[in-house]
Amino acid sequence: MVTKSEEDQLNRLEAQVDNAGGGAWEYLCLVRKLKVRRPDKVLKHGLAILNDSKKRSALGTEEWTLCEQVAVAAMDCQSLDVAKDCIKVLRKRFPDSKRVGRLEGMLLEAKGLWAEAEKAYSSFLEDNPFDQVIHKRRVALAKAQGNITTAIECLNKYLDTFMADHDAWRELAEIYISLQMYKQAAFCYEELILSQPTNPLHHLAYADVLYTIGGLENLQAAKKYYASTINLTGGKNRRALFGVCLCTSAIGQLSKGRNKEDKDSPELQLLAVAALEKDYKQRAPGKLPLLTSALKSLRVSS
Amino acid sequence: MGSGELRYEISQNAYIKLVLHALKHKAAAVNGVLLGRLSDRGDAVEVLDAVPLFHSHLGLLPNLEISLLLIEEYYGSKGMSIVGYFHANERYDDTELGGIARNIGDHIFRYFPQAAVLLLDNKKLEALSNGKDRSPVMQLYTRDSSKNWKLVSSDGSNRLITKEPTANVVLLDYMTSEKWQNVVDFDDHLDDISKDWLNPDLFK
Repeated sequence: MVTKSEEDQLNRLEAQVDNAGGGAWEYLCLVRKLKVRRPDKVLKHGLAILNDSKKRSALGTEEWTLCEQVAVAAMDCQSLDVAKDCIKVLRKRFPDSKRVGRLEGMLLEAKGLWAEAEKAYSSFLEDNPFDQVIHKRRVALAKAQGNITTAIECLNKYLDTFMADHDAWRELAEIYISLQMYKQAAFCYEELILSQPTNPLHHLAYADVLYTIGGLENLQAAKKYYASTINLTGGKNRRALFGVCLCTSAIGQLSKGRNKEDKDSPELQLLAVAALEKDYKQRAPGKLPLLTSALKSLRVSS
Repeated sequence: MGSGELRYEISQNAYIKLVLHALKHKAAAVNGVLLGRLSDRGDAVEVLDAVPLFHSHLGLLPNLEISLLLIEEYYGSKGMSIVGYFHANERYDDTELGGIARNIGDHIFRYFPQAAVLLLDNKKLEALSNGKDRSPVMQLYTRDSSKNWKLVSSDGSNRLITKEPTANVVLLDYMTSEKWQNVVDFDDHLDDISKDWLNPDLFK
Protein backbone atom coordinates (compact mmCIF):
# COMPACT_ATOMS: atom_id res chain seq x y z
CA MET A 1 0.00 0.00 0.00
CA VAL A 2 1.38 3.31 -1.11
CA THR A 3 0.44 6.83 -0.07
CA LYS A 4 -0.55 9.42 -2.64
CA SER A 5 2.63 11.45 -2.13
CA GLU A 6 4.76 8.34 -2.54
CA GLU A 7 2.90 7.47 -5.74
CA ASP A 8 3.32 11.01 -7.06
CA GLN A 9 7.03 10.87 -6.31
CA LEU A 10 7.31 7.54 -8.09
CA ASN A 11 5.41 8.77 -11.14
CA ARG A 12 7.55 11.89 -11.36
CA LEU A 13 10.75 9.82 -11.28
CA GLU A 14 9.29 7.42 -13.81
CA ALA A 15 8.46 10.23 -16.22
CA GLN A 16 11.93 11.67 -15.73
CA VAL A 17 13.67 8.39 -16.48
CA ASP A 18 11.37 7.67 -19.43
CA ASN A 19 12.38 10.98 -20.97
CA ALA A 20 16.10 10.19 -20.60
CA GLY A 21 16.44 12.63 -17.72
CA GLY A 22 18.49 10.22 -15.61
CA GLY A 23 17.65 8.90 -12.15
CA ALA A 24 17.12 5.28 -13.22
CA TRP A 25 18.83 3.78 -10.18
CA GLU A 26 16.89 6.06 -7.83
CA TYR A 27 13.66 5.00 -9.55
CA LEU A 28 14.49 1.30 -9.28
CA CYS A 29 15.32 1.68 -5.58
CA LEU A 30 12.05 3.45 -4.95
CA VAL A 31 10.08 0.72 -6.76
CA ARG A 32 11.82 -1.85 -4.56
CA LYS A 33 11.17 0.13 -1.40
CA LEU A 34 7.48 0.72 -2.12
CA LYS A 35 7.03 -2.84 -3.41
CA VAL A 36 5.01 -1.69 -6.41
CA ARG A 37 4.58 -3.64 -9.57
CA ARG A 38 5.93 -1.82 -12.64
CA PRO A 39 7.56 -4.66 -14.50
CA ASP A 40 7.85 -3.11 -17.97
CA LYS A 41 9.66 -0.01 -16.66
CA VAL A 42 11.87 -1.99 -14.29
CA LEU A 43 12.81 -4.36 -17.07
CA LYS A 44 13.60 -1.57 -19.51
CA HIS A 45 15.62 0.65 -17.21
CA GLY A 46 17.15 -2.09 -15.08
CA LEU A 47 18.37 -4.00 -18.10
CA ALA A 48 19.86 -0.79 -19.51
CA ILE A 49 22.02 -0.47 -16.41
CA LEU A 50 22.97 -4.17 -16.34
CA ASN A 51 23.99 -4.14 -19.98
CA ASP A 52 26.22 -1.12 -19.48
CA SER A 53 29.41 -2.45 -17.90
CA LYS A 54 30.44 0.94 -16.53
CA LYS A 55 27.11 1.62 -14.85
CA ARG A 56 27.01 -1.94 -13.63
CA SER A 57 30.36 -1.90 -11.88
CA ALA A 58 29.48 1.46 -10.34
CA LEU A 59 26.75 -0.33 -8.40
CA GLY A 60 29.15 -2.53 -6.45
CA THR A 61 27.34 -5.21 -4.48
CA GLU A 62 23.96 -3.64 -5.33
CA GLU A 63 24.46 -5.19 -8.76
CA TRP A 64 23.03 -8.45 -7.46
CA THR A 65 19.96 -6.81 -5.96
CA LEU A 66 19.30 -5.20 -9.31
CA CYS A 67 19.83 -8.54 -11.06
CA GLU A 68 17.18 -10.08 -8.85
CA GLN A 69 14.79 -7.18 -9.39
CA VAL A 70 15.21 -7.36 -13.16
CA ALA A 71 14.77 -11.15 -13.13
CA VAL A 72 11.39 -10.84 -11.40
CA ALA A 73 10.30 -8.00 -13.70
CA ALA A 74 11.36 -10.03 -16.72
CA MET A 75 9.23 -12.95 -15.55
CA ASP A 76 6.29 -10.61 -15.07
CA CYS A 77 6.70 -9.41 -18.66
CA GLN A 78 7.20 -12.96 -19.96
CA SER A 79 10.76 -12.13 -21.09
CA LEU A 80 11.87 -15.51 -19.87
CA ASP A 81 15.25 -15.49 -21.61
CA VAL A 82 16.25 -12.33 -19.80
CA ALA A 83 15.06 -13.83 -16.53
CA LYS A 84 17.01 -17.02 -17.18
CA ASP A 85 20.19 -15.07 -17.87
CA CYS A 86 19.88 -12.98 -14.72
CA ILE A 87 19.22 -16.05 -12.60
CA LYS A 88 22.17 -17.88 -14.15
CA VAL A 89 24.45 -14.98 -13.25
CA LEU A 90 23.11 -14.92 -9.72
CA ARG A 91 23.45 -18.69 -9.36
CA LYS A 92 27.11 -18.45 -10.43
CA ARG A 93 27.81 -15.76 -7.86
CA PHE A 94 25.79 -17.38 -5.04
CA PRO A 95 25.96 -21.16 -5.67
CA ASP A 96 24.26 -22.28 -2.46
CA SER A 97 21.72 -19.53 -2.12
CA LYS A 98 18.12 -20.32 -1.21
CA ARG A 99 17.15 -16.87 -2.43
CA VAL A 100 18.35 -17.76 -5.92
CA GLY A 101 16.54 -21.08 -5.55
CA ARG A 102 13.31 -19.12 -5.03
CA LEU A 103 13.92 -17.27 -8.26
CA GLU A 104 14.45 -20.56 -10.04
CA GLY A 105 11.13 -21.74 -8.62
CA MET A 106 9.45 -18.56 -9.87
CA LEU A 107 10.91 -19.16 -13.32
CA LEU A 108 9.27 -22.58 -13.37
CA GLU A 109 6.01 -20.85 -12.46
CA ALA A 110 6.48 -18.28 -15.21
CA LYS A 111 6.98 -21.08 -17.72
CA GLY A 112 3.75 -22.68 -16.55
CA LEU A 113 5.58 -25.77 -15.26
CA TRP A 114 3.30 -26.04 -12.27
CA ALA A 115 4.23 -29.54 -11.09
CA GLU A 116 7.96 -28.78 -11.20
CA ALA A 117 7.47 -25.52 -9.33
CA GLU A 118 5.39 -27.27 -6.68
CA LYS A 119 8.10 -29.93 -6.29
CA ALA A 120 10.78 -27.27 -5.90
CA TYR A 121 8.81 -25.36 -3.30
CA SER A 122 7.90 -28.49 -1.34
CA SER A 123 11.53 -29.51 -1.08
CA PHE A 124 12.45 -25.99 0.09
CA LEU A 125 9.85 -26.21 2.79
CA GLU A 126 11.13 -29.59 3.93
CA ASP A 127 14.49 -27.97 4.66
CA ASN A 128 12.98 -24.85 6.11
CA PRO A 129 9.32 -25.05 7.06
CA PHE A 130 9.29 -21.43 8.19
CA ASP A 131 10.22 -19.83 4.90
CA GLN A 132 7.40 -17.33 4.56
CA VAL A 133 8.19 -16.34 0.99
CA ILE A 134 8.01 -19.93 -0.26
CA HIS A 135 4.73 -20.49 1.55
CA LYS A 136 3.31 -17.49 -0.23
CA ARG A 137 4.69 -18.62 -3.57
CA ARG A 138 2.68 -21.82 -3.15
CA VAL A 139 -0.44 -19.73 -2.71
CA ALA A 140 0.46 -17.77 -5.82
CA LEU A 141 1.04 -21.04 -7.66
CA ALA A 142 -2.43 -22.30 -6.74
CA LYS A 143 -4.01 -18.98 -7.69
CA ALA A 144 -2.23 -18.89 -11.06
CA GLN A 145 -3.62 -22.30 -11.93
CA GLY A 146 -7.10 -21.20 -10.99
CA ASN A 147 -7.24 -23.45 -7.91
CA ILE A 148 -8.72 -20.77 -5.75
CA THR A 149 -9.94 -23.20 -3.08
CA THR A 150 -6.42 -24.57 -2.69
CA ALA A 151 -5.06 -21.04 -2.55
CA ILE A 152 -7.50 -20.19 0.25
CA GLU A 153 -6.59 -23.37 2.15
CA CYS A 154 -2.87 -22.69 1.88
CA LEU A 155 -3.30 -19.08 2.87
CA ASN A 156 -5.41 -19.97 5.89
CA LYS A 157 -2.86 -22.55 7.01
CA TYR A 158 -0.10 -19.98 6.51
CA LEU A 159 -1.96 -17.43 8.62
CA ASP A 160 -2.40 -19.98 11.44
CA THR A 161 1.36 -19.77 11.90
CA PHE A 162 2.18 -16.32 10.64
CA MET A 163 -0.83 -14.40 11.89
CA ALA A 164 0.97 -11.08 11.91
CA ASP A 165 1.42 -11.01 8.14
CA HIS A 166 -0.87 -8.16 7.14
CA ASP A 167 -0.26 -8.57 3.44
CA ALA A 168 -1.45 -12.15 3.67
CA TRP A 169 -4.64 -11.15 5.49
CA ARG A 170 -5.34 -8.55 2.83
CA GLU A 171 -4.69 -11.02 0.03
CA LEU A 172 -7.05 -13.52 1.66
CA ALA A 173 -9.72 -10.84 2.09
CA GLU A 174 -9.42 -9.88 -1.57
CA ILE A 175 -9.70 -13.50 -2.69
CA TYR A 176 -12.85 -13.89 -0.56
CA ILE A 177 -14.33 -10.70 -2.02
CA SER A 178 -13.65 -11.91 -5.57
CA LEU A 179 -15.64 -15.03 -4.70
CA GLN A 180 -18.36 -12.96 -3.01
CA MET A 181 -17.62 -14.68 0.35
CA TYR A 182 -18.19 -11.45 2.23
CA LYS A 183 -18.51 -12.78 5.77
CA GLN A 184 -15.12 -14.44 5.49
CA ALA A 185 -13.66 -11.24 4.06
CA ALA A 186 -15.11 -9.33 7.01
CA PHE A 187 -13.29 -11.67 9.40
CA CYS A 188 -9.98 -10.87 7.69
CA TYR A 189 -10.54 -7.15 8.00
CA GLU A 190 -11.48 -7.58 11.66
CA GLU A 191 -8.09 -9.22 12.22
CA LEU A 192 -6.39 -6.35 10.40
CA ILE A 193 -8.23 -3.70 12.39
CA LEU A 194 -7.27 -5.48 15.62
CA SER A 195 -3.60 -5.49 14.74
CA GLN A 196 -3.44 -2.12 12.98
CA PRO A 197 -6.27 -0.10 14.52
CA THR A 198 -5.07 3.24 13.17
CA ASN A 199 -4.84 2.19 9.53
CA PRO A 200 -7.86 3.83 7.89
CA LEU A 201 -7.79 1.56 4.84
CA HIS A 202 -8.76 -1.43 6.96
CA HIS A 203 -11.69 0.48 8.45
CA LEU A 204 -12.75 1.53 4.96
CA ALA A 205 -12.55 -1.96 3.48
CA TYR A 206 -14.42 -3.41 6.46
CA ALA A 207 -17.15 -0.82 6.08
CA ASP A 208 -17.43 -1.61 2.35
CA VAL A 209 -17.79 -5.32 3.10
CA LEU A 210 -20.40 -4.74 5.82
CA TYR A 211 -22.41 -2.52 3.49
CA THR A 212 -22.24 -5.19 0.80
CA ILE A 213 -23.50 -7.89 3.17
CA GLY A 214 -26.38 -5.58 4.09
CA GLY A 215 -29.02 -5.72 6.79
CA LEU A 216 -29.74 -3.00 9.31
CA GLU A 217 -27.11 -3.96 11.89
CA ASN A 218 -24.36 -4.25 9.30
CA LEU A 219 -25.31 -0.94 7.73
CA GLN A 220 -25.18 0.77 11.10
CA ALA A 221 -21.79 -0.79 11.80
CA ALA A 222 -20.58 0.16 8.32
CA LYS A 223 -21.57 3.76 8.98
CA LYS A 224 -19.48 3.71 12.17
CA TYR A 225 -16.46 2.42 10.30
CA TYR A 226 -16.86 4.97 7.52
CA ALA A 227 -16.97 7.56 10.28
CA SER A 228 -13.79 6.21 11.87
CA THR A 229 -12.11 6.27 8.45
CA ILE A 230 -13.10 9.91 8.05
CA ASN A 231 -11.74 10.55 11.52
CA LEU A 232 -8.44 8.82 10.82
CA THR A 233 -7.95 10.60 7.49
CA GLY A 234 -8.93 14.07 8.62
CA GLY A 235 -12.03 14.03 6.43
CA LYS A 236 -10.04 13.57 3.25
CA ASN A 237 -11.19 10.10 2.22
CA ARG A 238 -13.88 10.55 -0.39
CA ARG A 239 -14.91 6.91 -0.46
CA ALA A 240 -15.74 7.09 3.25
CA LEU A 241 -17.72 10.30 2.77
CA PHE A 242 -19.75 8.66 0.01
CA GLY A 243 -20.08 5.60 2.23
CA VAL A 244 -21.71 7.64 4.96
CA CYS A 245 -24.26 9.01 2.50
CA LEU A 246 -25.04 5.54 1.15
CA CYS A 247 -25.42 4.07 4.64
CA THR A 248 -27.71 6.81 5.86
CA SER A 249 -29.90 6.40 2.82
CA ALA A 250 -30.00 2.60 3.09
CA ILE A 251 -30.64 2.67 6.85
CA GLY A 252 -33.43 5.16 6.29
CA GLN A 253 -35.05 2.89 3.74
CA LEU A 254 -34.81 -0.16 5.95
CA SER A 255 -36.14 1.58 9.04
CA LYS A 256 -39.15 3.19 7.36
CA GLY A 257 -42.09 2.69 9.63
CA ARG A 258 -39.96 1.63 12.57
CA ASN A 259 -39.52 3.53 15.80
CA LYS A 260 -37.82 6.87 15.69
CA GLU A 261 -35.09 5.48 17.96
CA ASP A 262 -33.76 3.35 15.14
CA LYS A 263 -33.40 6.35 12.88
CA ASP A 264 -30.00 7.98 12.91
CA SER A 265 -29.59 11.69 13.24
CA PRO A 266 -29.00 13.24 9.83
CA GLU A 267 -26.03 15.32 11.00
CA LEU A 268 -23.34 12.96 9.86
CA GLN A 269 -24.78 12.70 6.38
CA LEU A 270 -25.19 16.47 6.12
CA LEU A 271 -21.57 16.96 7.12
CA ALA A 272 -20.42 14.33 4.62
CA VAL A 273 -22.43 15.93 1.81
CA ALA A 274 -21.02 19.36 2.66
CA ALA A 275 -17.48 17.99 2.69
CA LEU A 276 -17.96 16.29 -0.69
CA GLU A 277 -19.50 19.36 -2.29
CA LYS A 278 -16.67 21.53 -1.02
CA ASP A 279 -14.10 19.08 -2.37
CA TYR A 280 -15.74 18.88 -5.81
CA LYS A 281 -16.16 22.64 -5.95
CA GLN A 282 -12.43 23.03 -5.43
CA ARG A 283 -11.01 20.23 -7.51
CA ALA A 284 -13.66 19.06 -9.98
CA PRO A 285 -16.11 21.95 -10.40
CA GLY A 286 -17.38 20.59 -13.69
CA LYS A 287 -18.76 17.58 -11.86
CA LEU A 288 -20.35 19.49 -8.99
CA PRO A 289 -23.91 19.74 -10.39
CA LEU A 290 -23.84 16.02 -11.14
CA LEU A 291 -22.72 15.27 -7.60
CA THR A 292 -25.33 17.51 -6.05
CA SER A 293 -28.26 15.96 -7.88
CA ALA A 294 -26.95 12.42 -7.29
CA LEU A 295 -26.62 13.07 -3.56
CA LYS A 296 -30.05 14.68 -3.54
CA SER A 297 -31.59 11.49 -4.91
CA LEU A 298 -29.89 9.61 -2.06
CA ARG A 299 -31.31 11.97 0.51
CA VAL A 300 -34.82 11.84 -0.91
CA SER A 301 -34.93 8.09 -0.40
CA SER A 302 -33.79 8.30 3.23
CA MET B 1 -38.59 -8.28 -28.43
CA GLY B 2 -36.28 -10.42 -26.33
CA SER B 3 -32.55 -10.60 -26.81
CA GLY B 4 -33.05 -13.56 -29.15
CA GLU B 5 -31.98 -11.90 -32.39
CA LEU B 6 -30.74 -8.54 -31.21
CA ARG B 7 -27.49 -7.22 -32.56
CA TYR B 8 -25.08 -5.31 -30.38
CA GLU B 9 -23.15 -2.57 -32.10
CA ILE B 10 -20.36 -1.01 -30.08
CA SER B 11 -18.79 2.28 -31.05
CA GLN B 12 -15.05 2.37 -31.60
CA ASN B 13 -14.38 4.74 -28.73
CA ALA B 14 -16.39 2.70 -26.23
CA TYR B 15 -14.71 -0.50 -27.38
CA ILE B 16 -11.17 0.85 -27.27
CA LYS B 17 -11.70 2.54 -23.91
CA LEU B 18 -12.69 -0.76 -22.29
CA VAL B 19 -9.82 -2.77 -23.76
CA LEU B 20 -7.25 -0.10 -22.90
CA HIS B 21 -8.57 -0.09 -19.33
CA ALA B 22 -8.00 -3.84 -19.10
CA LEU B 23 -4.49 -3.40 -20.51
CA LYS B 24 -3.69 -0.69 -17.98
CA HIS B 25 -4.33 -3.14 -15.14
CA LYS B 26 -2.95 -6.36 -16.55
CA ALA B 27 -2.65 -8.13 -13.22
CA ALA B 28 -6.17 -7.38 -12.01
CA ALA B 29 -9.77 -7.94 -12.93
CA VAL B 30 -11.45 -4.80 -14.26
CA ASN B 31 -14.97 -3.81 -15.18
CA GLY B 32 -16.96 -1.08 -16.87
CA VAL B 33 -20.48 -0.13 -17.96
CA LEU B 34 -21.86 0.26 -21.45
CA LEU B 35 -23.99 3.27 -22.30
CA GLY B 36 -26.32 3.61 -25.22
CA ARG B 37 -29.84 2.96 -26.45
CA LEU B 38 -32.06 0.66 -28.43
CA SER B 39 -31.93 1.44 -32.16
CA ASP B 40 -34.93 3.17 -33.77
CA ARG B 41 -35.92 -0.03 -35.55
CA GLY B 42 -35.57 -1.98 -32.33
CA ASP B 43 -33.32 -4.57 -33.92
CA ALA B 44 -30.06 -3.55 -32.31
CA VAL B 45 -28.57 -2.11 -29.15
CA GLU B 46 -26.24 0.77 -29.94
CA VAL B 47 -23.43 1.00 -27.41
CA LEU B 48 -22.34 4.60 -27.84
CA ASP B 49 -20.01 5.02 -24.91
CA ALA B 50 -18.45 3.17 -22.00
CA VAL B 51 -17.17 4.12 -18.57
CA PRO B 52 -14.33 2.09 -17.03
CA LEU B 53 -15.21 1.43 -13.41
CA PHE B 54 -12.80 -0.39 -11.10
CA HIS B 55 -9.60 -2.36 -10.94
CA SER B 56 -9.86 -3.54 -7.33
CA HIS B 57 -12.55 -4.97 -5.04
CA LEU B 58 -14.97 -5.42 -7.92
CA GLY B 59 -17.27 -7.40 -5.64
CA LEU B 60 -18.02 -4.57 -3.23
CA LEU B 61 -21.23 -2.58 -3.52
CA PRO B 62 -20.67 0.96 -2.19
CA ASN B 63 -18.37 2.27 -4.91
CA LEU B 64 -20.41 0.51 -7.59
CA GLU B 65 -23.60 2.18 -6.35
CA ILE B 66 -22.02 5.61 -6.29
CA SER B 67 -20.56 5.18 -9.75
CA LEU B 68 -23.85 4.00 -11.25
CA LEU B 69 -25.68 6.89 -9.60
CA LEU B 70 -23.34 9.47 -11.10
CA ILE B 71 -23.16 7.72 -14.47
CA GLU B 72 -26.94 7.43 -14.82
CA GLU B 73 -27.31 11.06 -13.79
CA TYR B 74 -24.88 12.20 -16.49
CA TYR B 75 -25.92 9.98 -19.37
CA GLY B 76 -29.63 10.24 -18.61
CA SER B 77 -29.48 13.90 -19.55
CA LYS B 78 -27.90 12.83 -22.86
CA GLY B 79 -30.67 10.40 -23.70
CA MET B 80 -28.62 7.30 -23.00
CA SER B 81 -28.99 4.60 -20.39
CA ILE B 82 -26.86 1.79 -19.06
CA VAL B 83 -27.24 -1.00 -21.60
CA GLY B 84 -24.64 -3.47 -20.47
CA TYR B 85 -21.59 -4.44 -18.49
CA PHE B 86 -18.00 -5.25 -19.36
CA HIS B 87 -15.71 -7.53 -17.37
CA ALA B 88 -12.13 -8.69 -17.77
CA ASN B 89 -10.94 -11.58 -15.60
CA GLU B 90 -7.77 -11.47 -13.55
CA ARG B 91 -6.14 -14.48 -15.17
CA TYR B 92 -5.29 -14.94 -18.83
CA ASP B 93 -6.85 -18.37 -19.18
CA ASP B 94 -9.94 -17.74 -17.11
CA THR B 95 -12.73 -17.74 -19.68
CA GLU B 96 -15.61 -18.08 -17.24
CA LEU B 97 -18.17 -15.41 -16.53
CA GLY B 98 -17.92 -15.22 -12.74
CA GLY B 99 -20.48 -14.48 -10.05
CA ILE B 100 -19.71 -10.79 -9.74
CA ALA B 101 -20.19 -10.20 -13.47
CA ARG B 102 -23.45 -12.14 -13.46
CA ASN B 103 -24.82 -10.27 -10.45
CA ILE B 104 -24.01 -6.86 -11.86
CA GLY B 105 -25.41 -8.00 -15.19
CA ASP B 106 -28.62 -9.05 -13.44
CA HIS B 107 -28.94 -5.64 -11.82
CA ILE B 108 -28.54 -3.85 -15.15
CA PHE B 109 -30.96 -6.30 -16.80
CA ARG B 110 -33.69 -5.22 -14.39
CA TYR B 111 -33.61 -1.72 -15.85
CA PHE B 112 -32.77 -2.64 -19.45
CA PRO B 113 -34.03 -6.08 -20.49
CA GLN B 114 -31.91 -6.16 -23.63
CA ALA B 115 -28.71 -5.76 -21.60
CA ALA B 116 -25.52 -7.47 -22.68
CA VAL B 117 -22.51 -8.63 -20.72
CA LEU B 118 -19.17 -8.49 -22.52
CA LEU B 119 -16.22 -10.55 -21.33
CA LEU B 120 -12.72 -9.76 -22.55
CA ASP B 121 -11.34 -12.57 -24.69
CA ASN B 122 -7.63 -12.67 -23.84
CA LYS B 123 -6.67 -15.12 -26.55
CA LYS B 124 -8.33 -12.98 -29.20
CA LEU B 125 -6.65 -9.89 -27.79
CA GLU B 126 -3.28 -11.58 -27.99
CA ALA B 127 -3.93 -12.63 -31.59
CA LEU B 128 -4.87 -9.09 -32.55
CA SER B 129 -1.41 -8.31 -33.85
CA ASN B 130 -1.97 -10.85 -36.63
CA GLY B 131 -4.12 -8.07 -37.95
CA LYS B 132 -6.76 -10.07 -39.73
CA ASP B 133 -9.73 -10.24 -37.41
CA ARG B 134 -12.25 -7.44 -37.43
CA SER B 135 -14.50 -8.87 -34.75
CA PRO B 136 -14.30 -7.44 -31.24
CA VAL B 137 -11.96 -9.13 -28.76
CA MET B 138 -14.89 -9.76 -26.46
CA GLN B 139 -17.40 -12.49 -25.83
CA LEU B 140 -21.08 -11.59 -25.80
CA TYR B 141 -23.42 -12.92 -23.13
CA THR B 142 -27.17 -12.36 -23.07
CA ARG B 143 -29.89 -13.47 -20.68
CA ASP B 144 -31.83 -16.52 -21.80
CA SER B 145 -35.34 -17.50 -20.80
CA SER B 146 -34.11 -19.39 -17.73
CA LYS B 147 -32.55 -16.17 -16.36
CA ASN B 148 -28.98 -17.29 -17.03
CA TRP B 149 -26.28 -15.42 -18.84
CA LYS B 150 -25.49 -17.50 -21.91
CA LEU B 151 -22.55 -17.14 -24.25
CA VAL B 152 -23.61 -16.10 -27.74
CA SER B 153 -21.57 -18.13 -30.16
CA SER B 154 -19.56 -16.04 -32.55
CA ASP B 155 -19.48 -18.59 -35.37
CA GLY B 156 -21.75 -17.60 -38.19
CA SER B 157 -23.84 -14.80 -36.75
CA ASN B 158 -22.13 -11.51 -36.01
CA ARG B 159 -24.28 -10.42 -33.12
CA LEU B 160 -21.53 -8.32 -31.61
CA ILE B 161 -19.80 -5.95 -33.99
CA THR B 162 -17.90 -2.71 -33.79
CA LYS B 163 -19.67 0.15 -35.51
CA GLU B 164 -16.49 1.19 -37.30
CA PRO B 165 -14.81 -1.72 -39.12
CA THR B 166 -11.37 -0.27 -38.48
CA ALA B 167 -11.74 -0.44 -34.70
CA ASN B 168 -9.17 -3.19 -34.23
CA VAL B 169 -6.64 -1.37 -36.37
CA VAL B 170 -7.00 1.75 -34.26
CA LEU B 171 -6.87 -0.32 -31.09
CA LEU B 172 -3.59 -1.95 -32.15
CA ASP B 173 -2.18 1.46 -32.86
CA TYR B 174 -3.08 2.69 -29.39
CA MET B 175 -1.64 -0.44 -27.85
CA THR B 176 1.68 0.18 -29.56
CA SER B 177 1.78 3.72 -28.22
CA GLU B 178 0.77 2.48 -24.74
CA LYS B 179 -2.25 4.77 -24.71
CA TRP B 180 -3.69 2.83 -21.79
CA GLN B 181 -1.64 4.98 -19.42
CA ASN B 182 -4.15 7.78 -19.98
CA VAL B 183 -7.32 5.86 -19.18
CA VAL B 184 -9.09 7.09 -16.05
CA ASP B 185 -11.53 4.82 -14.25
CA PHE B 186 -13.82 5.38 -11.30
CA ASP B 187 -11.24 4.04 -8.84
CA ASP B 188 -8.82 6.69 -10.11
CA HIS B 189 -11.52 9.36 -9.79
CA LEU B 190 -12.36 8.41 -6.21
CA ASP B 191 -8.67 8.63 -5.33
CA ASP B 192 -8.27 11.97 -7.10
CA ILE B 193 -11.47 13.70 -8.17
CA SER B 194 -9.63 15.96 -10.58
CA LYS B 195 -9.28 12.86 -12.77
CA ASP B 196 -12.29 12.64 -15.06
CA TRP B 197 -14.01 9.26 -15.53
CA LEU B 198 -15.51 10.57 -18.75
CA ASN B 199 -12.03 10.49 -20.31
CA PRO B 200 -12.86 13.53 -22.48
CA ASP B 201 -9.36 13.93 -23.90
CA LEU B 202 -8.46 10.29 -24.38
CA PHE B 203 -8.98 10.22 -28.13
CA LYS B 204 -7.90 13.75 -28.94
